[in-house]
Amino acid sequence: MAAHKVTPVQHPFQNLTQSLKSKTFQPQTIKCIPAVRTSTIIISSKLRVAVIGGGPAGSSAAEVLASGGIETYLFERNPEAAKPCGGAIPLCMLDEFSIPSHLIDRKVTQMKIISPSNLTVDFGKTLKPHEFISMLRREVLDNFLRLRAKERGATLIKALVTNIELPISEKSPYMIHYISNNTHSSLAVDVIVGADGANSKVAKSIKAGDYTCAIAFQERIKLPEDKMKYYENLAEMYVGDDVSPDFYAWVFPKCDHVAVGTGTVCSKQNIKQFQRAIRNRVKPKIHGGEIIKVEAHPIPEHPRPTRVRGRVALVGDAAGYVTKCSGEGIYFAAKSGRMCGEAIVRASENGEKTIVEADLRREYLRKWDDEYFCTFKFLDILQRVFYGSNGGREALVELCGKEYVQRMTFESYLYKKLAKGNPLEDVKMAMDTVGSLIRCNIVGREMMDSFDKTMTLRM
Amino acid sequence: MSMAIFSPKIPSLTPSPSQSHGKPHVSFKLYFPLRPTRKLRFDLLVSSDNGSGVAATVPDETPVSSEESVGSNGSPPPPLTATDPVAEPVKFVGGESSFEDPRWVGGTWDLKQFAKDGKTDWDAVIDAEVKRRKWMENNPQSSSNKNPVVFDTSIIPWWAWMKRFHLPEAELLNGRAAMIGFFMAYFVDSLTGVGLVDQMGNFFCKTLLFVAVAGVLLIRKNEDLETLKKLLEETTFYDKQWQATWQDETPNSPGK
Repeated sequence: MAAHKVTPVQHPFQNLTQSLKSKTFQPQTIKCIPAVRTSTIIISSKLRVAVIGGGPAGSSAAEVLASGGIETYLFERNPEAAKPCGGAIPLCMLDEFSIPSHLIDRKVTQMKIISPSNLTVDFGKTLKPHEFISMLRREVLDNFLRLRAKERGATLIKALVTNIELPISEKSPYMIHYISNNTHSSLAVDVIVGADGANSKVAKSIKAGDYTCAIAFQERIKLPEDKMKYYENLAEMYVGDDVSPDFYAWVFPKCDHVAVGTGTVCSKQNIKQFQRAIRNRVKPKIHGGEIIKVEAHPIPEHPRPTRVRGRVALVGDAAGYVTKCSGEGIYFAAKSGRMCGEAIVRASENGEKTIVEADLRREYLRKWDDEYFCTFKFLDILQRVFYGSNGGREALVELCGKEYVQRMTFESYLYKKLAKGNPLEDVKMAMDTVGSLIRCNIVGREMMDSFDKTMTLRM
Repeated sequence: MSMAIFSPKIPSLTPSPSQSHGKPHVSFKLYFPLRPTRKLRFDLLVSSDNGSGVAATVPDETPVSSEESVGSNGSPPPPLTATDPVAEPVKFVGGESSFEDPRWVGGTWDLKQFAKDGKTDWDAVIDAEVKRRKWMENNPQSSSNKNPVVFDTSIIPWWAWMKRFHLPEAELLNGRAAMIGFFMAYFVDSLTGVGLVDQMGNFFCKTLLFVAVAGVLLIRKNEDLETLKKLLEETTFYDKQWQATWQDETPNSPGK
């Protein structure tokens, strides 16, 4: 399955790598220069960094680190696992991470959003011919990224990390204990990048704190040919109290089947009920299909209380970089991995110097927060306003019918940049938003009142 | 039979009525109104499918065979294979019924049927839509491409909404504001001797006026005070979660 040829990709670091590889390894003389800053203790052996977790975050970090000339070790416990995941990535990720198009299973060009009262809106009328949402298989993508990191010079270690010993002093290394091929081994490194996902062991070892998680539950259903044709380029999103009290349910097409799933934060014990509800809502379209797999996974809702401690930095799901409202995490994982790797390369000047916590905070955390906090905050507001009640959801679907909203949404999603809008249209959109919200919430209130009335009548 | 249906969901109710009344059938009718209709459907479903195991991929009756693994939470385990003993038949909740109403035509309300005195009776349209959405909420229907719903609340003109919902509330609030205003003006006048016109020139009085108006607008029910406090907390909660990692920067010495 992984027999795709690795096309030589023009990577920004390629030139750097070539020049570094030709350098000979420096002798083991330790020079202590009385420095102005405490972090300029120059040791001649290169900085050793371990990236724990070989998903998009870990592989991107490892790739950048290795290209920067740092001794990188990438730990992955299960390289062949198919992760339960939507598998959708935005257009900008294809460019920024040079992902070849043969990895893409499907190009989704149309999306339907269905409200609780079955108002259906076609989302995607404004997409240009070259714009689409790529659906990939996670195992294919992860494998590609890992191999690329290996090509740049990272050492792939297939192992399960069991324990991480924190250093006793400022200059002593971290000890990573792991099991590989049924043998216990350990490795000493100077810096650790924790990219091991929602149940991160690295986070536990540095006592980074807990975060609330949503649970995403999905069933992969193989459909008969004619039903599959409908989902060729189409993904669907269902909102409603019946399918999820605080999130949405989806039908995403995969390589040769569809994934039907839902998620929730506050009501995890009822997830099976929600799954039944979504299956019911999609009934005519999945009639005759067979379930080939059932999977579930936690999705972090917000960043951990601590993302950097000592010389350990968390990236991706381990740090909690998943947007609300859409639950998108792959792009942000890869981007944060890359940013963290670049931060380490910069702060250590290509592995020549040791780095401290302040370096990680300044170069990685600050930059990340400055660049992406607004996006995350905006999506949090959207989720709070529109996913809270059926009235809000109806308003959301009504708004999505407007072309301007569609265009702005897709541009922001596909390119991860605040889309440039027409101020007049923005005002119109704001007024439409307020109008829809008011109307749908009024209807919602009337529904509650009529329910109370019928209840009192019965009694 | 009714006991079997309701036993999974209402265990606490089953023993007491049977003991006290000895007529479980009758006593359940009393408890009907207390449960929203939605829960009843799930009870029926759970009981009706008990024990009817199904083989894999039976074509027409139970089209989707589910082989659910027990541990469907937590970290991703190795690929879930079909080793679970209980193969549950797929339950499609809800009946085949769709929303039936003579005025609901082609996925939208036929406005001609709402005509009253030659004009559309928008209040009736709103009522009909409320009923439909309530019905949909209780009986979630699968969306169908053949009969798409195209009704949008924006079809109902803005003045219909205003006339029915905004104006009564506005009247109420204005009434409250007027009463408060009159008594506050009298009270301040009696205390300080400053007349109404002179009060409006004073900064403190203008502030009081602003507070009174804001109070009338924001606090309409007793619960609103709590709601406002929670709202304030909620808006800043997400920010706090992001800032949390910066909080322990100062107490810790750099370079741990």
